[in-house]
Amino acid sequence: MSDQPIPATPGTPSAAPPSAARSEGHSGGGAHRSEGHSGGGSPRREGYSGGGGGGQRREGGPGGPGGGGPGGPRRGGKRQYFRKKKVCRFCVERVDFIDYKKVEMLQPFVQERGKILPRRMTGTCSRHQRWLGEAIKRARNIALLPFATEL
Amino acid sequence: MDERVYDLIFICRPATPEDEINKIVATIEHSATEHGGKVEKIERWGTRRLAYRVSKHREGFFVYMVIRSTQGDIIKELERRLKVTDAVIKYQTIRLDEELKRQQKLVHHREKRASRRPRKQASPIPQGPQQPVPPPAEQTAAS
Repeated sequence: MSDQPIPATPGTPSAAPPSAARSEGHSGGGAHRSEGHSGGGSPRREGYSGGGGGGQRREGGPGGPGGGGPGGPRRGGKRQYFRKKKVCRFCVERVDFIDYKKVEMLQPFVQERGKILPRRMTGTCSRHQRWLGEAIKRARNIALLPFATEL
Repeated sequence: MDERVYDLIFICRPATPEDEINKIVATIEHSATEHGGKVEKIERWGTRRLAYRVSKHREGFFVYMVIRSTQGDIIKELERRLKVTDAVIKYQTIRLDEELKRQQKLVHHREKRASRRPRKQASPIPQGPQQPVPPPAEQTAAS
């Protein structure tokens, strides 16, 4: 019953109030259904904004573990804030060799769980990311960095 | 064959007495020199926490060495020795000369560039055309 009025809402405003009134006034079954429908609409839009939030977090650099938002499109949405350009930290400091023994240097590029952070989060250039990955893997091999968190 | 540089790290059980570690280091050094290598540096990092459990230990005594050699066989021998030593729970050898060479090359390149012309002021980042982001046509089909 409540299936039909909702797709019709954008076109016919007159159709909406009765359905809303009816769902409010009705018994539990009908109300539940209509709630389920409205829920199906709005969380998805929240999902979009969640994707944008992921972008904001990404901007922050290698901070917290990047919880990828729900599969919203990255470039969709209203992105109007100014995005700071990320610069490769190793290029700024003119690093020619990333030492696998300096764990404190590698630590910011690894998640708590041991994952290597992607370039899009840290802003590392491709060359340094390549060296960094190698260094992290070496450090992992000799138990300086974890492969994964243990229980 | 060119001279090669290797990093050698090994981890001993945390309960290993100092004497035994010294003995292991001496053995490694001895067999390295015997095979035509040269131990350049020995560092004892002491007992450190391991990032994960290695043969039921959460800590280990780290020893770091730098070895130079023209013979590749030396690594085989050293690793064999470490393998049969009970106190050693983990070891890793990494060949580093190529990376060091690359590093030197980069440094050299940079110095050359710096000497050739004085520091040029970086041009200001060109302001890209401000593109207004069109509002996305959100077609949320009401299912």
